[in-house]
Amino acid sequence: MAATNITHNILRFRDVTVRYGRTVALQGVSLDIPCGSSTAILGPNGAGKSTLLRAILGWYPLASGEILLGDAHPQHMLPRLAYLPQRQVIDWDFPITVRGVVEQGRYPALKFFQRLSASDHQRVARALEELGLTELADRQIRMLSGGQQQRVFLARALAQGADIFLLDEPFAGLDLFACEELTHILRAWEAQGRTVLAAVHDLELVRRTFTHGVLLDTSLVAAGDIAAVLSPENIDRAFRRGRCAHTNPLHFARTTDFPS
Amino acid sequence: MSLYEFFIAPFSYEFMQRGLGAAMCLSVSGGLLGCILVLRRLALMGDALSHSLLPGVALAWLLFGPSTTALFVGAMLAGLLTALGSALLSRLTRVKEDAAFGSLFIVFFGAGIALVSKLPTRLNLTHFLFGNVLSVSATDLHLTAIVSGSTVLLFALFYRAIVLETFDPVFHRAIGGWGALIHFGFLALTVLNLVAGLQTMGVVLALGLFLLPAVSAYLWCDHFFRLLLLSVGFALAGSIAGILLSYHAGLSSGAAIVLCQGGIFIGSALFSPSYGALKHLSHFFHERQPVRHSD
Repeated sequence: MAATNITHNILRFRDVTVRYGRTVALQGVSLDIPCGSSTAILGPNGAGKSTLLRAILGWYPLASGEILLGDAHPQHMLPRLAYLPQRQVIDWDFPITVRGVVEQGRYPALKFFQRLSASDHQRVARALEELGLTELADRQIRMLSGGQQQRVFLARALAQGADIFLLDEPFAGLDLFACEELTHILRAWEAQGRTVLAAVHDLELVRRTFTHGVLLDTSLVAAGDIAAVLSPENIDRAFRRGRCAHTNPLHFARTTDFPS
Repeated sequence: MSLYEFFIAPFSYEFMQRGLGAAMCLSVSGGLLGCILVLRRLALMGDALSHSLLPGVALAWLLFGPSTTALFVGAMLAGLLTALGSALLSRLTRVKEDAAFGSLFIVFFGAGIALVSKLPTRLNLTHFLFGNVLSVSATDLHLTAIVSGSTVLLFALFYRAIVLETFDPVFHRAIGGWGALIHFGFLALTVLNLVAGLQTMGVVLALGLFLLPAVSAYLWCDHFFRLLLLSVGFALAGSIAGILLSYHAGLSSGAAIVLCQGGIFIGSALFSPSYGALKHLSHFFHERQPVRHSD
């Protein structure tokens, strides 16, 4: 963490409030994301984790405050941002190969009628290589495991040439091995100076993988170094609002009779 | 019968040439649109749209009589109102798009039937439903060619946006794409092509020309671009075969075309090497292991 004092902040939130109708999704959030950090966004369900990520893309009008990427509003710098939503929306029977999906990463850079150039193909090949998909490049996307499917979309984000990655629950639905793989990928990205923001639920995983953390509960609870953010007091403050019907959820399981 | 008599001689008549021309124009644009309809699970929306054209046709008939252009414009306006209306409804209210389509088209169809019952002369509903490829006028052919040409042009221009919006609308939005515009544009094109098909094939059969080649091609391809090409190929082959069939066997031309497309579809569904039913079944029988009980 010696490098912390010379890094600058690539994303800055100033008093950001987002409302859906009357519901407040984010309340007066001010925080800085250091350049080249890997930051986990944590908090209970409905704490505004996804909203925070999408607000960076400019999808919601801000009720107050502003978000800055460098000196500009991020919706004008979309080529620098790669967004990976939660995975369910894809039709896995779509007639497209792994390479076809990764090539989509180059689409924003192309003009009407312009075809993929040699350098575009090179970037696609590099992205496939980096995520270990070269062998699978000509497969239809249904013919992949869940972890491999996840990596295809990470490769597309790489091919975009973005330097800031916004990942919405990238670990959801992955098995132990795939989780470990993704952890490696994210660590490698951080080492290469890429900035990663990811909404994550598993606190243990977060401690091992991310250098920074943001703890949300509609408003900001804590932000900064991951070890400091994940102090017992902070976790208690973010999660204590007792959304569970039982004061002690484990008690329910212990006192219920299961047929033997 | 020589090959010449079978394949070439029928097209020495002008009405056969015009019919062939119109069917081939519709095949190209219908083959393209159909792929998107199938991939976006909007296959049944085409059916709803086709019914909603009726009030436009009836109203145009009531006001301007049997003028091709008036019927064309009337049908188009009715279709656009339904398509854009339900797209807007689904975005502005909590009603989902399929329900919005289902509701609006039935209202439009009702209005159409009401108008038809008010017509002084009976509008020939059979023509509306089935059309006739062999009675295509020169104006019809020109309109069809223009519609088909603009469809192909727009597809070429916005090819990548169409791929992204169909495959992954969230990603499309995240890179700054105009998803809603692509969606509305696509709906408008579908309406336009349905209306062009109305004159030549009739609405229901025109829909067959949109969907059947696309579904057939979907059973063979794992590449989007090849899917488009194969779908157009199937559409063209089925149309030509259908017109020849209708000429030699004396069948209704639209029905013959749809039957040929249907033949391609059934064949693909059964025998496609990777996604066909036979492949699936043989897999099922060969892989099945008897469960052994050890007592």
